[in-house]
Amino acid sequence: MKKVAVVIKDKAQQYEGLRVSLGLLLEETQVQMFVLCHEIADMDEAYRENMEILDEMGGERFSDHQANAEKYGFQYLSLEQITDRLRKADVIIPL
Amino acid sequence: MKVLHLLKSEPCDLVEKFAERLFDKEETSVRKLYEKNVDWGAVADEIFSHDKVICWW
Amino acid sequence: MNTLGILVSSDKYMDYVVNLTNAAYAKGKDVRIFFTGDGVMLTQSPKFEKLVGKAEISVCDVSFRAKGLKGDVPGLGFKDFATQARNAEMLAECERYVVF
Repeated sequence: MKKVAVVIKDKAQQYEGLRVSLGLLLEETQVQMFVLCHEIADMDEAYRENMEILDEMGGERFSDHQANAEKYGFQYLSLEQITDRLRKADVIIPL
Repeated sequence: MKVLHLLKSEPCDLVEKFAERLFDKEETSVRKLYEKNVDWGAVADEIFSHDKVICWW
Repeated sequence: MNTLGILVSSDKYMDYVVNLTNAAYAKGKDVRIFFTGDGVMLTQSPKFEKLVGKAEISVCDVSFRAKGLKGDVPGLGFKDFATQARNAEMLAECERYVVF
């Protein structure tokens, strides 16, 4: 099973990054989604629902932004810890 | 393991950190796609001659 | 080693997509491209036709509609408008995978 890291840096790619992450889970892929440098901008119903589906399907969510951990259930990781995770990924998808 | 970093634009601090810290320098190549006169044939060759390719922002 | 997957999620890098596809095709590689998000806007670019015949192209149907796009896209048929699962297949099956 391929291990894929979806790395989202820009707010404009937040939703697309989540959709891509969800899609990858359909193909026996281990998905880790990283939201970097910013708090989720538009936590609307669609984003929240898709985030819950990601969790149910076994995807993992990480962020170096404390607010995403406190408000939205992301696992907080420092940039150092994120670097370690990315090193272990088979494929890195910066979006 | 040979790793190729493809840079689509001038790297921000974050990309520079990742490119420096993710893998040993000896096994890492960097190709700046935003520069003039990119040899795309060479880029295609490099993509397949490296074990891992990361196409940064 | 022969397969290259290209995920296009931005509308900023059409020249990169065309140049890499042409180069890889010229070297006998099988190229697959999946356009999603803002990337679907590139289906409206005159340069899009340069990809036709050189790559297996798919477009995220949800993104295409969400951007208000409709009508034919050069070289694409009904089956080429797909879900995100197409990208997952591409990633699983291609030996190299890049993102523009």
